[in-house]
Amino acid sequence: MAQDDVRQDVVSEDESVERELVIPATVAEVWDIVTGDGWLAEEVSFELVPGGEARFSTGTSTRTGWIEEAEAPENPDRAARLVFWWENERESASRVELVLEPEEDGATHLWVSETRPLEVLDLRGIPLPGSGSASYGPALLAVA
Amino acid sequence: MTPQLSPDVSARADAVFTALADPNRRRLLAAVSSSPATATELADGLPITRQAVVKHLAALADAGLLERERQGREVRYRVTPEPLSDAVGWMAEVGGQWDERLSALASRYRGEMPK
Repeated sequence: MAQDDVRQDVVSEDESVERELVIPATVAEVWDIVTGDGWLAEEVSFELVPGGEARFSTGTSTRTGWIEEAEAPENPDRAARLVFWWENERESASRVELVLEPEEDGATHLWVSETRPLEVLDLRGIPLPGSGSASYGPALLAVA
Repeated sequence: MTPQLSPDVSARADAVFTALADPNRRRLLAAVSSSPATATELADGLPITRQAVVKHLAALADAGLLERERQGREVRYRVTPEPLSDAVGWMAEVGGQWDERLSALASRYRGEMPK
């Protein structure tokens, strides 16, 4: 294998699922739905700031996590973005990214991805930098 | 340092991703990963014909995701016990969850969006 190919292969080694959908509603409307109860889980609570706690409950199953990045739409037609981590006893931690972009006709392009790094250090055991810091990011190492 | 990967793994991953591009195949794989099953058993739980199930199972087996085990007149399928099957199982499950969330979202607006 050529050396140039290696990086691309490493990226594909992260397990990742991507989906997209165009919805005939403004970014603000879609934001309210995807961050509200009943979409990510039956009951969703999160503090929408970097480092904020997140909790997702459906029936008896609960995932906990934290917010990496939250950019609520500044007005109904501006792009928005939410990145968070979630995990529970049964599933290892994964990173979810939701990107909402306005389309010309007032619709919203929603793009989602969920990625599970090959190996995630115990996220809860790592001290996180203060919220609001520009360098705030996932405290993890992905190794093969 | 860049981790070393075997070229087999990336070739296999390509085959796997192609096989998983179909939602029925993801559903079948998720079903087989919870317990080994025959095409007839799997067809009972899905809104597709046994013939279609057999075709999808063959595609999954060709990608190395499932293996066949002859049992009397039927063939029982089970998930291949290799390291990648954990990744594949995760992708099938998580992919299915996002499909459900997106279709729930789309159905809120059904009728308003010309297809």
